[in-house]
Amino acid sequence: MGTSRRDFVKLLTSSGIALSVSRLALAEQPDFAAREILPGRQAWNPAATGAGRIDGVAKVTGSKLYASDFRAADLPGWPAKTSHAMLIRATDATHIYDGIDLSRLSGALKPSVVVTAEDLARIGTRVPEFFAGDLFCPLRKTPLYLGQPIALLIFEDFDVFDQARFALRDATIVKYGEETGAITRLPYAAFRFTRVAGATPEAPDVYSPFKNGWVSPGKFKDTGHPIWERLPLPTGQEYAEAAGYGEDIRAELAADNPARLVLERQFETQSVDPMFLEPESALAWYDPGRKSLELVVGVQSPYDTAESVAFLLGAAEAAHKPARINMQFAYMGGGFGGRDHTPFPLYVALAGMFFPGRPVRLANNRYEQLQSGIKRHAVSMHTRMGVDRATGKIFAFAADHVLHAGGLSNFSPHVATVGAVAALGVYYAPKVDVTTVSLPSRAVTAGSMRGYGTLQPMTALEVLVDEMCTALPLDPIEFRRRNALKPGERRMTGNTYSVSIRTPEILDKLEQHSIWRDRAAEKARGREAGILVGTGVACVTKNYGTGADCSLAAVEIDPQGRIAIRFDETEIGNAVGTAVANRVANYLGGVADEIALAQTKAFTPLALVRSGDPHTIDQKTQDTAARNPRWVPETFSATAASTGAHVGTHAAAEAARVIFRFGLWPTALELWRIAPNDPRAAQWQAARWKDGQLTAPSLPPLALADIAARAHTRNGITGAMAHSFNRWAWSQADFKIDGQNWTAEIDALALRRGAGKFVRLDRANVKFPPTTLNQSGPTYTAQCGTLVRVEIDRGTGALRIAKGYSVLECGNALVPQVVIGQAQGGFAMGVGQALLETLPLYEDGPGNGKWTLGQYVVARGSDLPLRDLEIEVLPPVDADERPKGIGEVVMIPVVAALVNAIFDATGHRFRALPVTQAMIKGVLT
Amino acid sequence: MKSEPRTKTTVLTFTALLATLISIHAASGAAADMLATPESFAAIADTAARSAALFTEAGKVLTHPRCMNCHPAGDRPRQGDVQRLHQPPVARGEDGFGLPAMRCQICHQAANFEPAGVPGNPAWHLAPHEMGWEGKTLAQICEQIKDPARNGGRSLEDIVHHVGEDHLVGWAWAPGGDRTPAPGTQAQAGALLDAWVKTGAVCPN
Amino acid sequence: MTTLTVTINGRSYGPTEVRDELTMNDYLREYLGLTGTKFGCGAAQCLSCAVIVDNPDGSSYTSPTCIVPATSFNGKSIRTVEGHAKNGELTVLQKAFIEHFAFQCGYCTAGFLNEGQVLLDRLARKRVPRADLEKTIAEALDGHLCRCTGYAKYHEAVRDVILADPQRYLL
Repeated sequence: MGTSRRDFVKLLTSSGIALSVSRLALAEQPDFAAREILPGRQAWNPAATGAGRIDGVAKVTGSKLYASDFRAADLPGWPAKTSHAMLIRATDATHIYDGIDLSRLSGALKPSVVVTAEDLARIGTRVPEFFAGDLFCPLRKTPLYLGQPIALLIFEDFDVFDQARFALRDATIVKYGEETGAITRLPYAAFRFTRVAGATPEAPDVYSPFKNGWVSPGKFKDTGHPIWERLPLPTGQEYAEAAGYGEDIRAELAADNPARLVLERQFETQSVDPMFLEPESALAWYDPGRKSLELVVGVQSPYDTAESVAFLLGAAEAAHKPARINMQFAYMGGGFGGRDHTPFPLYVALAGMFFPGRPVRLANNRYEQLQSGIKRHAVSMHTRMGVDRATGKIFAFAADHVLHAGGLSNFSPHVATVGAVAALGVYYAPKVDVTTVSLPSRAVTAGSMRGYGTLQPMTALEVLVDEMCTALPLDPIEFRRRNALKPGERRMTGNTYSVSIRTPEILDKLEQHSIWRDRAAEKARGREAGILVGTGVACVTKNYGTGADCSLAAVEIDPQGRIAIRFDETEIGNAVGTAVANRVANYLGGVADEIALAQTKAFTPLALVRSGDPHTIDQKTQDTAARNPRWVPETFSATAASTGAHVGTHAAAEAARVIFRFGLWPTALELWRIAPNDPRAAQWQAARWKDGQLTAPSLPPLALADIAARAHTRNGITGAMAHSFNRWAWSQADFKIDGQNWTAEIDALALRRGAGKFVRLDRANVKFPPTTLNQSGPTYTAQCGTLVRVEIDRGTGALRIAKGYSVLECGNALVPQVVIGQAQGGFAMGVGQALLETLPLYEDGPGNGKWTLGQYVVARGSDLPLRDLEIEVLPPVDADERPKGIGEVVMIPVVAALVNAIFDATGHRFRALPVTQAMIKGVLT
Repeated sequence: MKSEPRTKTTVLTFTALLATLISIHAASGAAADMLATPESFAAIADTAARSAALFTEAGKVLTHPRCMNCHPAGDRPRQGDVQRLHQPPVARGEDGFGLPAMRCQICHQAANFEPAGVPGNPAWHLAPHEMGWEGKTLAQICEQIKDPARNGGRSLEDIVHHVGEDHLVGWAWAPGGDRTPAPGTQAQAGALLDAWVKTGAVCPN
Repeated sequence: MTTLTVTINGRSYGPTEVRDELTMNDYLREYLGLTGTKFGCGAAQCLSCAVIVDNPDGSSYTSPTCIVPATSFNGKSIRTVEGHAKNGELTVLQKAFIEHFAFQCGYCTAGFLNEGQVLLDRLARKRVPRADLEKTIAEALDGHLCRCTGYAKYHEAVRDVILADPQRYLL
C-alpha cells in the first residue's frame, strides 16, 4: 500500500520553518497515508466499473478516514496516549472579560495546562492576517465576538477531561466586569457595482466594473460606514463616477412613468450554519527532541492552513517554535465551505505546542460547533426592478445589500462582492447599480458557505420577479425568457460568460414539466379537498471558480498498468477523487486505484514560486514575474466555489494527456510496429479506450497493462506532474517533449520516465490570464431551475412539499450519480434555509453555547418529497464541453421556488426567511 | 401563592385572583414554584368554591410543562420549558412507547442521565390520546380527569394515588437538566387532590 | 464506577471498570478506538452514533450511544459498522449503499447501515405488505440526519435490497 520510497523534501518558508514530509516507519498500524489513499490496491474499487465511489468501501466499513477518527495510537511513530483539550469561550461580548474561575476544577479535575492570551503574547505568536483578531480574549478587554476563545485547557487523561467538561457545562466560570457595549469596528468592505450599457449591444459600455475598475465608497469618519452618495470632493473620483451613474439609474427607477412598472422591495435572510455532520476536530503532537510539530486536520484549504500555522509560530521564542511542521489532511465529514479557512487548526497547533511530547486532541461537540463554526451571514437586501410594460423587459435594476458579518472578517468582503455581482441572476439589464457593505458585529464569525452570498440576493430576485409577473401581468416563464441573458451579452459587471448559457433550455424544461402545467388544476383539486395548493418556480445561475484557482496533480502508471493520482483537492463528500479518476481514465484507459487527495508536498519537482496577490496584481508586474520559468500567480487554492469538477480535475487531465501522447501512444506504436513516419503515428487523437484496451482504426486492440509494462521497459514517459492557474481562463504554455512542441493549458510540467524521478521541463511562451479579468467577475457559470408544489393545511399552516423538480446543466458530468446526489442534497439544504433553519445573531443565538440540533432544525427525510423529487441533468452541449461545478447552484433556486409556491397557495408574499409553519398559520387566519 | 386570607375582603380578592388564574391558558407554564396546602383554602366557606379552588391549585402541576409535554393532543410529545416539539421527532406509535425504530426507552433510561441532559424514568412513555390535555382549559382537563372513559377507568381515589404516588408522575419534581420542576412536591399535589375529592371533586368554571 | 462487560461484533470486551457518567459513544471511540460509530450531535438528534443491540431472542434494535451511559450496555451484545462485513465480504446492504451512491461525505453512513440492517432483520421476522414498504422505510430511517444527500438514495438502496428479495421481506 502506498509507495515504499521515502520522500524527504524540504520546503523553506519565509519563517525559516521547514515544512517537510517524512514518511514515518510502518508499524503494525497502517500509516495515515495508507488509510487516506483510496481505494488502495488490496481493496475493491467500485469506481473501476462505474459502480460506486473510490471511497465507497472505506465509508461503508467504518474505516478510519476522518480527522475525528484518529487518536495518537492510530499514528505510527506517535506516542500512544492521546490527551484532550477544550476551549473556554466567551458568551458575553458587551462586558469586560475579567478572568476565569477554575475552582470547580480542583484536585483530580485540575487541567494540566491552561493557555490564555497572555501566554500567546509571552511566546510571541502572530495571528495570520486572514484571521486578524485576538485568538484569545486578553484579560480586561471586551470579547470581540460571542464564542471568542478565552482559554485552552489541556487534560492529560480522557477521564479527567470528560469529568471536567461535565463539571463546567452548566457553570459560569468566565467572569465579566463592567459593561462596555460591543466593540465597534469599521465595515469589513463596501463596494458599488454599476453598469450602463452603450447605445447598441455591440457598442462598448458607457461604464462598467470590467471597463472602469472596481470602486469602493468613502467612509464617514466616526462610524466608518460607507458614504454611498457622490460627493463633490477632489479625491475618490473613480467612485464618484460610478455613483453618478448609479444615482441616475435610481432616479430613473424613481420617476413616475405609466409605461413602466417599478417594484421596490426589502428582503431579509437569516444566519445559518453549514451543519456538516462531523464537528471540527484535530490532533497535534509537538516532539521537542526533533522540534517537529505533527498535525492531523480536516480542512478544505490545506495549503493555506499549513501556511497559517507556520506563520502563527514562525516568530515564536525558541521553545515554542517548531523547526518542522508536518500536516496531514483527512477526508471530511462534510464541509459546505465551513471548513475553508477555519481558525480551528490554529488552536490545535497551540495545544500541541503547549503540551510538548504529548499528542493532544481538540474536538468540538455540537454545542461548540454551532458556537464557533463559520456561519452564513444574515443579509438585508433592498431591491428595485424596473420593467417596461409593453415589452416586459427590465430597463433598470438597483439593489443595496447589507451583510451582517460576525466578529472576524474571514471571507466577508469577498462574499459581499460575489453576492453583489450575482444580484441580477440569470437576467440582462442595460442599467444596473448594486451597493454592498459587510458589517462586523459581536456575532459568530461568518465566512464561506454553500452559495457564497449569492443564494440570498437570487432568492430576493426570484421572489421579486414572481411578484413582478403577477403585477404586470406576464407569464412567469415568458418573463424569464424575455429577460434571460443571452450568450455574448454583458453581465452587470460588464463581462461576458465564457461558457455555455442554457437558460432557455432550462426554462423550456420548467415550462413543460407537469408540476408547472398542472398548477391550476392542482390548485382547484386542493380547494375541493380543503387544502391550499401552490406551485412555485425559480431559475438561477451560480458561478463556479473564484478567479484565482489552481490545479495541481501528479499522475503515474506502474508496470502493471495501475494508475496513481496525487492532487490538491480535498474531499468533503463531493466525490472529487472519483471524478479525477474518471477524467484521467478518459486518457489512460483505466480507473486509478490509488488516489491521494489534499496533497500539499507532492509537487516539489515543479519548484513553483509565487509572489503578489493574484486578485490585485497588475499586468506589468505579472508579465515581469512570468519571465521566471517557475513563477506562477498562485500555487494552491482551496476546495471551494464548486471547483471540484472543473478546477480540481484539470491538472490531472492535462498530466494524463501528456502521459498518453508521449508515453503510452509511442509505446503502442512500437507494439503495433508502426514506424514514426507512418501517417498513422500522428493519429493519436483518433484512438479510443474500450474496456481497458486501446483501439485505433484497423489495428488490434492493446491492453493497458501491456502498454504500461512496455513503457516502463523502454524507459518511456510513465508519469506527469502539472500545475495550472485559472483566472477565468487557464494559463497556457509550450513544452518541448521528446523533440516535439506541446501546447497545453498548464504553466508547469515535470515528467517521469520508467521508474525514475520526476524531472521538471522548462516552459516557453507562457500566457497567464490577463489581470484585467480580475475586474470581470465570474465568467464561469452553471444554471439550475426548480419547481415545487406545496400543500398547506389551512388550520395549522403545516406545509408539505408534494412534488419537486430541479433541472440543471453541468457540462460533461464526471460522476453522473454524484451530480444527481448533489442536486438532491442541495434541495434538502434549500428546504432547510427556506422553511426550517434560523439562528439569532446575538446573545440568544448559538454564540451562547446552548444550541444543538434540537434547536437548529435541519431537513429530515420526512420534510422532503423523497419519491417525488425529480432531478434532470441536461446533456452537455457537445462531447468536448468541460465539466462545470454545480455543488452550489443546486441549492439556490429551491428557496425562492418554495417562497413563490407559498404565495401561490396562500396569497401572502413572504419577504424574510425562514418561512415557518407558525408564520404561515399566522397569515391564514 | 402563600397568602393567608384573614378577612372576607382578602378572601374575595383571593378568589378573584383564582378566577383570573383559571382563565389563563393551560400551557402558559408561568406557575410559581410553590403549592399552597389544602388548609390554606379553609377560609373559603362555600364547599363547591373551595373544591374548585383546590383543583385550580393542583392545576399548576397538571398544566406545568413537565406534565403537559407528555399529555399532548396529537402523537408527538413536546420538550423543555419552552415546550417545543420533541426533537428528534418521535411519535407515540401503537402503544405510546414509540415507533419501532425509536422506542422511548432506547434514549430515556431508568433515571436522568445528566452528562447528556436526558431525563429518564423506567416507565417513560406518552399518556394515551384520551388523556391529552394540550390546548384544553383547566375546566376541561378537570372533566376529563373525572371521566372514567377518558382516565383509564380510574376512580377518584385512583387519581389521587396516581398524581400523589406514581413513580413516573413523580419524575416531574426531579426532572434534572435545566428543566424547571413541577411546583411544590408530589405529596402536596396529592394532598390537594385528596382534599378536592373530599370536597366533592368540583371542577372550576 | 461499574464493571462493564459487553460483546461487540461477536467479541467480548471487559470486564472494565468505567465511570457511571461515561457515555457509550466515548467508551467505543476513546476506550476501544472503534471510531466507525460516529459523534455528530450528542443529543440523539442525528443518530450517526447509533449501534445495533441484539436481543437474546434474535430481535434487534438500534440505540444511540451519545446520550446513553456505557454501563447500560452491560451484558448486552451489540454490532457496530465495523462488524457488518465478514472476512472482507460486504453485506448486501453495504454493497447497495455503494452501488446506489447512497452517501457522499459518509459520516452518517454507519448509522444508516445499522438502522437499515435492523429494518431488514425486523422485516425478515415480520413481513409487511408491499404497499406499506416506503412508509416503513421512511419511519425507520427518519431519525437519521444527513446533510449531504437529501436521503433519497439511502431510501432507494434499502428499498431495492428488499425488493430484490420480496419473499423474505414482503407479504
